[in-house]
Amino acid sequence: MAAATSGPTSPVRPRVGIVKFASCDGCQLTLLDLEDRLLEIADRFEIVDFPEASSTRSEGPFDVLLVEGSVSTAWQADRIVDLRRRTKVLVTIGACAGAGGIQALRNWASHDAWRRAIYPRPEYVESLATSTPISSHVTVDAELRGCPIDPGQLVELLTALLVGRRPQLPDIAVCEECKRRGAVCVVVSAGLPCLGPLTRAGCGAICPAFGRGCYGCFGPRSQVNLRALDRVLDAQGRSGDEKGRLFAGFTAWAPPFRDRVTDWVGAPPRSTGGGDAPDR
Amino acid sequence: MVTMPESPGFLPRAQLERLIGLLREDGRRVIGPTVSDGAIVYDEVTSIDDLPAGWHDEQAAGRYRLRHDDGRQVFGYASSPTSWKRFTFPPLVPISRVRRDGSSLAFEAVSSDAAPMAFLGVRGCDLAALRIHDRVLSQGPVQDADYTARRRSAVVVAVNCTRPASTCFCTSMGTGPEAGPGYDLALTELDDGFLVDTGSPLGAELAGRLGTRPATSAQAAAAATAVGDARSRIGNPVDTGRVRDGLLTRLEDPRWAQVAERCLSCSNCTLVCPTCFCTGINQRSDLAGQESVSERVWNSCFSDGFARVAGGDFRPRSQDRYRQWLTHKFATWVDQFGTSGCVGCGRCIAWCPAGIDVREELSTFTATQPSTVPLAIPRATPSVADGFSTATVREVRVETADTTTLALRWASDLAAAGRPGQFVMLTRPGLPAIPMSVSRFTDGGIELTIRAAGPASATLASSKPGDHVGLRGPLGVGWPIDLAIGRDVVIVAGGIGLAPVRPIVDQVLADRGRFGAVRLYYGARTPVDRLYVAEYAAWASRQGLEFAEVVDRAGGDWLGRVGVVTQLFDQADWDGTSAVAFVCGPERMMQAAATTLAMRGLAPERTFLSLERHMECGVGLCGHCQMGPYFVCRDGPVFSLAGLGKTFGREGI
Repeated sequence: MAAATSGPTSPVRPRVGIVKFASCDGCQLTLLDLEDRLLEIADRFEIVDFPEASSTRSEGPFDVLLVEGSVSTAWQADRIVDLRRRTKVLVTIGACAGAGGIQALRNWASHDAWRRAIYPRPEYVESLATSTPISSHVTVDAELRGCPIDPGQLVELLTALLVGRRPQLPDIAVCEECKRRGAVCVVVSAGLPCLGPLTRAGCGAICPAFGRGCYGCFGPRSQVNLRALDRVLDAQGRSGDEKGRLFAGFTAWAPPFRDRVTDWVGAPPRSTGGGDAPDR
Repeated sequence: MVTMPESPGFLPRAQLERLIGLLREDGRRVIGPTVSDGAIVYDEVTSIDDLPAGWHDEQAAGRYRLRHDDGRQVFGYASSPTSWKRFTFPPLVPISRVRRDGSSLAFEAVSSDAAPMAFLGVRGCDLAALRIHDRVLSQGPVQDADYTARRRSAVVVAVNCTRPASTCFCTSMGTGPEAGPGYDLALTELDDGFLVDTGSPLGAELAGRLGTRPATSAQAAAAATAVGDARSRIGNPVDTGRVRDGLLTRLEDPRWAQVAERCLSCSNCTLVCPTCFCTGINQRSDLAGQESVSERVWNSCFSDGFARVAGGDFRPRSQDRYRQWLTHKFATWVDQFGTSGCVGCGRCIAWCPAGIDVREELSTFTATQPSTVPLAIPRATPSVADGFSTATVREVRVETADTTTLALRWASDLAAAGRPGQFVMLTRPGLPAIPMSVSRFTDGGIELTIRAAGPASATLASSKPGDHVGLRGPLGVGWPIDLAIGRDVVIVAGGIGLAPVRPIVDQVLADRGRFGAVRLYYGARTPVDRLYVAEYAAWASRQGLEFAEVVDRAGGDWLGRVGVVTQLFDQADWDGTSAVAFVCGPERMMQAAATTLAMRGLAPERTFLSLERHMECGVGLCGHCQMGPYFVCRDGPVFSLAGLGKTFGREGI
């Protein structure tokens, strides 16, 4: 990832935008929750577009664009391409933007059937049949994982951009953070299902530290051994439903977790309508 | 003067409270076993009530459960997912700080602020682990200051083991069940109290203050029986006599791929291991890049990126990583530190979620009588300048589109101490330190030639005259130029590999009469990727320096040779039988060069290569740059082909 600025002594503040697509806004709130550090960030960056915090809007150009949310409508699919053209460093924030989010579970379902079942006037609901990550549409320079993202990783990313180095977002297992914090492994000590060995760290192993298994909201590490975890789950006597559900969470659409969901519910339908509104 | 009692004392059960109290009165944090989250964990204890009375562990591969009975035994468990390294070698500690200070950079070490500790309940296996860490972290050429300070402060109250788990194999590793040397006090738990042995003047003093009575012969016999029973229950599960040679002679065994199928690469084994010491170095800086703190953080050879450099990953596959871990722990650790890295505590067996049992894996390699692999004891390495110091950018020279040379003014004693082939760790506030070969030694400084392979190297390469950078070094083992005096010299370089050999050229040209024929062969990707082009004419004009170059891909006006660097000398008519060769470039290029040089008669003892590996610390402490028995930063980066032996050119080492 290229540095967005000319170094720590530069008086020019990089222009930062924060935009959202299909998402809950929780990752943007992580930025607001930085509180005291937010002032320092605003001092170093020119925040030109941040709808969760300000009514001031900008159409770019952006030195850094933080993108929350997945692409869920045809408008969004066009919009992200448009934004990419006006952005130097595009960073996805959170499991929706990075992996499609929990809403990507619809990728395995009949979009039209659900739309008709839920909405009295489905013709007004314009959405695609799929929820897809930003990287399915444009080139992404960096991603912050998690649901929501980790505030420390956000500050680290912004610091790295200013200082001119690669952000320290290590591609290590949740287990490594679990052990560093001294949590007791829930697989070994309690026989719980846990995605920690396959999942990228960054959360600080919150769930195992509170006695529950990791559900993979930071998504898969770059190299994962699914079959090895299958053996562990089989030894625990987990049913097919239990195993499938374990992967069908916030990062279900991220390969190779996606394969395990497909093993469970079957391949995604080739077409379920969508593209835009159903026939009126 | 306190005299150590010959015979053990006896401490009634209730008096254990008094021991904890004494240690606390001395201002120590007492760390001992306690129950938390379904396991025995080591944490601060303030009274006997915190200890796990009546709790016992049941362990198997990938499984750990606690159960409780009405007994009063407080050391009635075998081990804990915690190891004492959490306290002597914590998961994350700040180690140094740098800030911009007017016209300079101020580097300072961050010293441990930990209160003195006392460890209560250290098993024989874990005491052996502390002794191993002492050797690795305190007794090498460079000390880990934080570890050394914490360890020195700690009083050790050991416990002779009477409750081993099914995962234990201390008996095979020679570390238990009784505690070996290094304790201040050692307890053996009996029904109504503890047999107390003293192992140091401090321990004797504590025993004196406790007022232990001499143990009766019945008490001593009961303790011996309990420990003896533990020993026979464990048996001797691992044939350690064959294990090192067995592993090193079967580096290509299909077993590595088989275990990799079951391995999650989750790194749990290394993190629960009481001796694994690999760490990363994080940078934590303010947004302005004015100040940053380097933090040492636990890391693992199973992690992605652990052995990665800009050009690729030296251990990309799970089987490479498992092999690295097992061969290091049981084999090359012996070469490096004169001891096995395993103490037989069994944590890696119980806490492997996949239930991989290291004893079973080892049995594959000890099944047949292996041939003997000689110890590759690394040569003594020079001591290094402590910490970073400031250097100033004097001049910036653009070499190619992505490569820049910085001429630096640096403390003259450090620059003058450097030898061709050595490297420095280069940093700036907020940036990770990156290893960089010295490309020239100048009067009162050095030159570094930096290829912008990533954001940090790009930032460093964009330095301007007057900027300050931090340097640590010169580090490592350089080219043995003395060996070339009176001999012919062959230098083979590829790409950026010309930078580390340029100081050889400088030295040879400065003292031309002492060397025989000197030949320099250089290969670059394209004509515009060639380094130091302006210097070639001067090199070649000196009598007897033959310079030839080749590119992978020619541009429109390139009239020179196209091909690979070995084509420059594979048909040559010189005889290399008595020559010395210095080779630096991508590893595959160096392999090809070494083969071609051998055909020209070059002896492997006189063929020297400079290796690249992932380095975080540069001084042999972080573990990232290991290659077989070597720490490339400390024992290299320059090695003879003979010294590397079969480690060189092997996939995934």
